[in-house]
Amino acid sequence: MKVLVCVKRVVDYNVRIRVKPDGGGVVTDGVKMAMNPFDEIAVEEALRMREAGHVSEVVAVTIGDKKSQEQLRTALAMGADRAIWVEHEEAIQPLGVARVLKALAEREQPGLVLLGKQAIDDDCGQTAQMLAALWQRPQATYASEVVISGETVRVTREVDAGLEVIDVDLPAVISTDLRLNEPRYVKLPDIMKAKRKPMDSYTLPDLGVELPPLVERLETTPPPARTGGFKVESVEELVATLKEKGLV
Amino acid sequence: MDFDLSEEQQLIYQYGDQLAQRFDRKYWMENAATHRFPTEMFQQIADDGFLGVMVPESYGGAGLGLFEMTLFMEGLANNGIPLLSLVVSSTMSLPLIARYGTEEQKQRYLPDLCAGRTKFCFAITEPGAGSNTPEITTIARKSGAGYLLSGQKTFITDANDADFALVVTRTTPRSEVTRKTDGFTLFLVDLKAPGVDRAEIDIRVPMPESQWQLFFDDVQLTEADALGEFGRGFDILFDTLNPERIVVAAICSGLGRYALGRAVEYACEREVFSGPIGAYQGLQHPLAESKALLEAASLMTLKAAWCFDHNRPTGEAANTAKLTAADAGIKAVDASIQCFGGNGFTGDYGIYEIYPMVRLLKTAPVSREMILNYIGEKVLGLPRSY
Repeated sequence: MKVLVCVKRVVDYNVRIRVKPDGGGVVTDGVKMAMNPFDEIAVEEALRMREAGHVSEVVAVTIGDKKSQEQLRTALAMGADRAIWVEHEEAIQPLGVARVLKALAEREQPGLVLLGKQAIDDDCGQTAQMLAALWQRPQATYASEVVISGETVRVTREVDAGLEVIDVDLPAVISTDLRLNEPRYVKLPDIMKAKRKPMDSYTLPDLGVELPPLVERLETTPPPARTGGFKVESVEELVATLKEKGLV
Repeated sequence: MDFDLSEEQQLIYQYGDQLAQRFDRKYWMENAATHRFPTEMFQQIADDGFLGVMVPESYGGAGLGLFEMTLFMEGLANNGIPLLSLVVSSTMSLPLIARYGTEEQKQRYLPDLCAGRTKFCFAITEPGAGSNTPEITTIARKSGAGYLLSGQKTFITDANDADFALVVTRTTPRSEVTRKTDGFTLFLVDLKAPGVDRAEIDIRVPMPESQWQLFFDDVQLTEADALGEFGRGFDILFDTLNPERIVVAAICSGLGRYALGRAVEYACEREVFSGPIGAYQGLQHPLAESKALLEAASLMTLKAAWCFDHNRPTGEAANTAKLTAADAGIKAVDASIQCFGGNGFTGDYGIYEIYPMVRLLKTAPVSREMILNYIGEKVLGLPRSY
């Protein structure tokens, strides 16, 4: 079975996000970029499936400008077998990504598509669901445990009410949550091997996909600064204050 | 000219970021406080294949150059985790064995060293010969089929944890050679051998490594323990001293960047009068100036590493890198401490604690003054002062 793992280039989670002065998005010039952490978990899961013998090939895919190849190279250094780079300069939205991934899924015929539950830049959390709908395959989102058995996969999902366990038929789309695994370190010999692994590239016309923007971003503003707290004298005052603010 | 790092080099540079997720500045400080060797972190680095960056693949290494070694070390320091252990072993000793060792020596030492099963330290400095290396008196005298090593070394990093030492010794006394740099040989010495003794030096700089005096009292060596050409040891010394300076420069730039990152974060949040203190140019400009100097030093450091890897003369670039990076590192850490006000001196914030290491690296492994002597005399052609 082949697994398609989707990775996105995002601002590194350690970076302090700054909004551009004109409100047209966040500053990315000279800012450290990295693979979306949830996607890293997806890559790790795919590699573990291969190591357990369930998977024969792990293919990492991304959509973006030339620099996004860096994240594919990271996936290859982690252990993915090959990579697919879909060249696209402009910003892209979840439905657009899902369309591209559907086109790739039809080409590659994977048994499983793994991707992070959301990207830490726009936090949309929609791509997996949209892909499953377009591809007309089952979905299991927010996975914290994935067990493959034959033609089905048992997924433990982290939902508001607790943990939900479902069986889905393969091929399927699974989005990965934080507690699924701890991604491995990239080792130096693997970094060197990654250089020699194949990376195919496509353009949107190659895949027969058009991506008219469907969402218009009007403005980006930083969240309001925290105003700071104040001290109360007693437990009674604390309870009264919380009640007054409607918090208890 | 191409200043872009390859994707491979970028991943090597970023390795410190991932290592720091498990072994962070806090872990480093906990070990630094008691000079405890950071075994867990060291083993992780070994498992990830980074001990043998500069060792050929056939001996368990990665077969890369000093350029990659520099990126790796600067990447660690960017995260506040400088490791002098990797200067004396992975930067100085291992590549020298790989370059000048016999096939038997390479097979015997390198695979274990790359895997972290054994460790090497580098013993050159003596109480009576610090910057003035030709005055070394440690000597290996012919005795039967082998040699007897006797003498004393000082400021030897990790001499307690290391299994072996690369010892710079005379094989002909100073009084019997015409040129003062003649008559040197490098020996691979087993530190468990009879006649080896050591004493810890009380070093007040927080660092996981410890510093030792090493004593050799008629330690038995064989001809097969000599590294490189017998009697010509001095000629190959700078194949290890230049890399040492270059990688130390990378540590200084990285630590400066780490301090600066912490200071910028704090200065953007901390409010004393109106608005964040980072808006005060009295604080902002020293940080900005430090940033400029750090990046310039960092670039010079990579140039020096490039020169070394391409067999170009490296002394000028290596010394310039070490001088500028140590100065820039000290300036950056100082400006960062100032940003934190009183908090800068508390354990909670851990900023002041960055200073001793960058300050040490102004003096070691080669002092600022010796670098200026080198640039003054060897580069500018000014008359010698000593």
